[in-house]
Amino acid sequence: MKNTNERPCVINVNGLSKVYGWGAVAFEALKDVDFCAAAGEFVMISGPSGSGKTTLLSILGCVLRPTTGNVTIFGRNVSNARENELPSLRLSLIGFVFQGFNLIASLSASENIALILELRGWEPKNAQGEAAKMLAEVGIAEKVDSLPRDLSGGQRQRVAIARALAGHPPLLLADEPTANLDGQTGLQVTELLKDLARIHGSTVVVVTHDPRIHNLADRIVNLEDGQIKKESL
Amino acid sequence: MKNQQLSNLVGATDALATHRPTRILRLRTMLHVGTKMMFHDKLKFAGTLFGVFFAVVLANQQLGVFLGLLSKNTMFIDNAGADLWIVPASTQTLQPGKPVAMASLYEARTTPGVAWAEPLLFGGGSVSLPSGGSEQVTIVGTKAPYWHGGPWNIVAGSVDALRNPDVMIFEDSERDKLGGLNMGSVREVNGHRTVVGGFTWGLLPFAPSYSFAEYDYARVLLGTPSDQTSFVLVGVAPGNNPDSVAATLQARTPDYLVLSTPAFHNRVLRYLLVSTGIGATTAMSTAFGLIVGLVIVSLSMFSAVVDNIREFGTLKAIGCRNEDLALLLLVQSAFYGLLGSLIGLTQISAIAGFMRSPKLALVLPWQTYACTPLLMVLLCGLASLLALSRIRKLEPGMVFR
Repeated sequence: MKNTNERPCVINVNGLSKVYGWGAVAFEALKDVDFCAAAGEFVMISGPSGSGKTTLLSILGCVLRPTTGNVTIFGRNVSNARENELPSLRLSLIGFVFQGFNLIASLSASENIALILELRGWEPKNAQGEAAKMLAEVGIAEKVDSLPRDLSGGQRQRVAIARALAGHPPLLLADEPTANLDGQTGLQVTELLKDLARIHGSTVVVVTHDPRIHNLADRIVNLEDGQIKKESL
Repeated sequence: MKNQQLSNLVGATDALATHRPTRILRLRTMLHVGTKMMFHDKLKFAGTLFGVFFAVVLANQQLGVFLGLLSKNTMFIDNAGADLWIVPASTQTLQPGKPVAMASLYEARTTPGVAWAEPLLFGGGSVSLPSGGSEQVTIVGTKAPYWHGGPWNIVAGSVDALRNPDVMIFEDSERDKLGGLNMGSVREVNGHRTVVGGFTWGLLPFAPSYSFAEYDYARVLLGTPSDQTSFVLVGVAPGNNPDSVAATLQARTPDYLVLSTPAFHNRVLRYLLVSTGIGATTAMSTAFGLIVGLVIVSLSMFSAVVDNIREFGTLKAIGCRNEDLALLLLVQSAFYGLLGSLIGLTQISAIAGFMRSPKLALVLPWQTYACTPLLMVLLCGLASLLALSRIRKLEPGMVFR
C-alpha cells in the first residue's frame, strides 16, 4: 500500500484477489492487490486489456464482490458489507462515469442529473436547480432540456460527469471516460473532470489505457496480469 | 494529523450515507422516471396498451353477452310486478311445467297479508305465416283489469286492446319474422284467428318471444282447463313482510313452491350457472380474454426491460434498489392498467350502444366499470413480475463490461 502524499488514505485495498469461475476454467483477474488513494487524489489505473483494471474498478464501486481481501472506503469495510447495504453505499459515496455515458435515454440532461439527487433525498425542485447549476459547471447550461440523443458524444460525457459530481460524492470512479471521444474532446473532458473533482473535493479513480490523458494524473497505477507492476507520479 | 483528517472525512460521508429519501419522494421519483421511460418508446407503449385494451374489450364483451343472456332469462320475473310466485314444485326456470291448480289461487287470496293474487298462463304458440310456414311464440295470458304479469314496454297500441276477445300484443322486433305484422294484421295462432292489437319492445327471452293475450283468450289458445293455470302471482299488502307471507302461503299450498321474486330470480340464475354449461363456458372465454391480455402485457413489459437493460443496470449501479425498480414497474403497470381500461371501456360502451337490440344486448352494469380498472391494474402488476425477475437477476457490474 503506497500513499505518496500527506493526505489520509480514503480508499484502502489490502490483499485483494478476484477469481472468476471455478475448477479448471477458473480465472484469477486480480492477484493480491494492495492499493491506496488519498483524499482528493486523481489516480489513473492503466494497463493492457485483460489486466484487471475494470475488475478493480467494479470492486471499488461496490458492484462486484472480491474473492479475498479487504476494501475500505471512507472507513467502511465494503468487502464484507451486506448485499442490501451496497446500493445505499454506492448512492451516497460514489459517483460513476461510464465509457458509454449510460445516460437514461428518456430523461433530459437535467433530469438525468436530478434523478440521482432525488434518489439521495433531495426535493425535486432543489434537485432540478442543482442539476442546472452542474450543467453550467460543465459548460453546457443551454442543454438543460435536451435528450441524450440530441447531444454530441462530448456533451453526453459532460452530462455524465455532472451527474457523477452532483451532490458532491466523496469518490468518483470513471471507466475509460475518453474511449468514445476524439482525442481533443477526451482531453478536455478529463481536464474538466479533474478540475471539478478538485473544486468539489472528490477523490477520483480513472481506469484508462489512453496515454494522452496520463499527464493529468496525480499518480498512475499500472496493472498487468492482475497485479500492480508499477506506480508512477 | 492524518488520522484527524480521515476522521473528519468519514464523519462527513456518514452524514451522506444516512440521508434517505422518504417513501413518497421515492414513489414520486419512480413515477417520473417510469412514465418517461414508458412514453419514450412509443411503439412499445402502443403495443402494451393494445394488450390491455384487447383484454378489456374481449373480457367485457363476453361478460356483457353472458349478463345479457341471464337478464333475458329473468326479465319476466323481474318485471311481472309480483312479490310472490306460486310455481310447480319442480320449477327451475320460467317454463310452463306441471299445471298449478286454481285452488291455490283462492288459497292465496284468503291468506292474511296478501293484497292480490292473479293467475298467469304460459304456453307455446304457433303463428301461421302468410307464406305458409309458421313461427313459434310464447303465449302469456294475464288477467284484466290489472294486467299483473304484463305486457309492459308497449310501443304501439294499448293493453286495453286485449279486452277484445281475439286480440294479442306481439313483440315489435319479431314483426318481420312473423310475416310483416302491423297494427290490425290478422294471423292464425294455434288455429284461432287473432288480430294484432299492439307491440312491445325488447320482450324477447332466450326462447320464442312473449306474445300477450287476455287470460281467458290465452286459455282458449292453449286449451288449458278452467281449474288449472301455469303460475299464480301474488302481491303482498303494504306493511307485511313478504317472507313471512310466503311462509304462511307455503304452509297452505304444500304441493307447490312459494317463492319471493328475488328468490325465483336467483333460482333461475343458479340453475343456468350450475346445471347448464353457460356459466363455465362464459367464465372460460372471459378468462381467455384476460389471459391473452396478460401474455401481451407481460411480454411487452419484459421486452421493454430487455431493450433497456443497460439503463436498468445503470440505475442499479448508481444506487437504485430492487424495490425502487419494482416500484417503477408497478407505476408503469398501474398506468397501463388504468389507461387501457379507460380506452377499452369507452370502446366496449360504444359497441354495447351499437349492438343494442332485443335480440342481442351487452349488459354492462356499473360494477363492471368499477371492477375492470382494478382487475387490469392487478393483471398488469402480475404481468410485470416477469420483467421484475429479470431486473432482480441483473448485476449492476454489467455497466462496466
